[in-house]
Amino acid sequence: MKVAMIGWEYPPFKTGGLGTHCYGLTRGLADKNVDVDFYMPKTNKKAISDKDNLHIIEVGEASIYPYDRPEDSELEGNFFESVYRYNDLIVKKVNGKYDVIHCHDWLTMKAGVQLKEKLGVPLVVSVHSTEYDRSGWIYPNQWFIDIEKEGMEKADIIIAVSNFTKRILVEKYNIPEEKIHVVHNAVYRLGRGEKQDIVLFLGRLTIQKGPEFFLKAAKKILDHSDIKPTFVVAGKGEMLSRLINQSVDLGISQHIMFTGLLTEEEVEHIYRIARVYVMPSVSEPFGITALEAISAGTPVVVSKTAGVAEALTNCLRVDFWDVDEMANKIISLLKYDVLHSTISDEGEKECDLFTWDGVADETMQVYRGVI
Amino acid sequence: MTSVCFYFEVHQPMRLNRFSVFNIGKTESPFDYFDNQLNEKIFHKVANKCYLPTNKLLLDLIDQHDKKFRISYSLTGTFIEYCQKHVPEIIDSFKDLVGTGAVDLIEETYFHSLSGLYTDLTEFEEQVYLHNSMLKDLFHVTPKVFRNTEAIYDNRIAKKVADMGYKGIITEGAKKILDWRSPNYVYKAVDNDIKVLLRNYMLSDDIGFRFSAQGWTGFPLTADKYSSWMAQNQGDLINLFMDYETFGEHHWQDTGIFEFLKHLPENVLNHEHMDFVTVRQAVERYEPRGTIDVPWAISWADEDRDVSTWLGNDMQRACFQELQDLGPQIKKEKNQKKLEAWRKLQTSDHLYYISTKGFEDGAVHSYFSHYDSPYDGFINYMNILQDFKQGMKPKP
Repeated sequence: MKVAMIGWEYPPFKTGGLGTHCYGLTRGLADKNVDVDFYMPKTNKKAISDKDNLHIIEVGEASIYPYDRPEDSELEGNFFESVYRYNDLIVKKVNGKYDVIHCHDWLTMKAGVQLKEKLGVPLVVSVHSTEYDRSGWIYPNQWFIDIEKEGMEKADIIIAVSNFTKRILVEKYNIPEEKIHVVHNAVYRLGRGEKQDIVLFLGRLTIQKGPEFFLKAAKKILDHSDIKPTFVVAGKGEMLSRLINQSVDLGISQHIMFTGLLTEEEVEHIYRIARVYVMPSVSEPFGITALEAISAGTPVVVSKTAGVAEALTNCLRVDFWDVDEMANKIISLLKYDVLHSTISDEGEKECDLFTWDGVADETMQVYRGVI
Repeated sequence: MTSVCFYFEVHQPMRLNRFSVFNIGKTESPFDYFDNQLNEKIFHKVANKCYLPTNKLLLDLIDQHDKKFRISYSLTGTFIEYCQKHVPEIIDSFKDLVGTGAVDLIEETYFHSLSGLYTDLTEFEEQVYLHNSMLKDLFHVTPKVFRNTEAIYDNRIAKKVADMGYKGIITEGAKKILDWRSPNYVYKAVDNDIKVLLRNYMLSDDIGFRFSAQGWTGFPLTADKYSSWMAQNQGDLINLFMDYETFGEHHWQDTGIFEFLKHLPENVLNHEHMDFVTVRQAVERYEPRGTIDVPWAISWADEDRDVSTWLGNDMQRACFQELQDLGPQIKKEKNQKKLEAWRKLQTSDHLYYISTKGFEDGAVHSYFSHYDSPYDGFINYMNILQDFKQGMKPKP
């Protein structure tokens, strides 16, 4: 079986779950003797493969990332153009005999649709997030929605990262249920470190990820309890200055640490040493970070509007807006050692169920259904 | 002669309110812990689906069969309190049942608690007395047979119950205590003469668990088929013990469970070598055929048939310890309200909700739980115990 996969990012360059997924999936497929050509834009960090049947092919150059928004000032005007340019290049570049084309998210969907016609092979589309998620359901941009909808309609089959996302595809994009196959994400286990009194938020500082709810919960915790952990906000994004102001206004700035963007090693380190990980996303198709945290023995408090909340048994679920309950659960994890150790032990064990090998199996199943 | 001993556990726990860490230290009355609204709603639902129709059916059956159809109940104190508060006619119908003479009542701890596993058995004994006087007052019955919460049993409990004057005790016919032996005989405890009735879990679970399981080879189960299975059993006594909610609640009416029950007595009595006995008659009629030795507690719950359902993880054990440790202080205070609340917190269900058992058992657990996860169950219960504990501290 030979697959032309079209992505946007691949480690060491990655900005989100899409890159992590493509990495795990392509390697998992390669291990099952599937030939994979992975097409992606050229970046300044070269992605390499150590597997004979997995080729990373860089195409042209692009200066935007899958989670950028057209309203970001530095991209003005440039944004739509770059997207079209990348997609055109891909269509030109991908030739030869493939059994299936597999593309990931809106960025690659135009190319996917054209390649399906050009090569006459089935198209599989993976949805890692929708415009509704990325906008936090506030003024979703129709331009993205149209691209996503076209891609989903033209696809022979769709892979959604959760039932939560599947529902959005059915309800907002009018995609027939039977066309959508859910494959949950996976994780490479990290292993534990020496825990410190750190409550961690890690993600892009955008409306979608709900960092302001994290700060509000921090305020409740600091006001209420004798436990004074450090609340670490790791990541960058358009909300950074607003969040810094918020923490000053709440009078808790001495307990909050904004780290900016962390390197891969730093991310792994902080997962290992944090006592609690909080993912208060407004709308999260999956949330691989929650799996990464629990794989480091760090219990997670996750939003009910996150795909991982339906997949992971050993976690604490909250409504993202319910900061009282979020604080209640975080304090309980800090205060009751038996709760912390049980979730952490059971959760780490549960990570064995989330393997990229399993994701590759399920994805191959999907391929076989359309080839 | 093979006797069928049909016994039902009738219990409803007092479920807890949402209680966050922010509520700790702010409770005005310990009765605020209980979610009266939810509890009332569930009770009415179960009353209409199970208690009222099943009582009526069983009463009719006893009449029809001229009291040859006999059954036994164990009614927990919390269940009776629900009846008194919300649906008193259930008590009347139980009085009618007891009045037939074909119905016996079983003793247990009033609060359906795990007090039988406490280091000191004083609290256990007190809860049994409370149950005893409740049955005496309401039904004028003094039980001879005891069944501990969820059939939890070990040598120490058997000894205590024997010392308290009971003639029989009920537990699970678990393989690990019987080995090659059959549950269809009366046994005796290891260091005293109390008779032990052992639940035939194959036949009991055929009704309790498998009745509506379409993938099961016995499906659909008819009274005729089931009676012929029983008729083939060797032994003196077939003990069929199950939750009363089996009828109408675990298996809804449309599964045909009531039809099954309706035809069971006639089908059993058609076999000349079979009859029905109450638990009291069972211990009077049959002599022990062997001894059972249970150094570590067993129960009728889950696949493990031990106490891991309630005390299987660290969270459960921590709560259990907190709860037990509160005892001496509360009794010293002589505050009736607090004592009662503490006892209602001892109901085993609160620990059951915190079980993290996986797979099949886990699915059964989440069916019965109103929490999102065992972790939520722990946080809620532990927060309440912390509040309770703070309320115990002498005010400065």
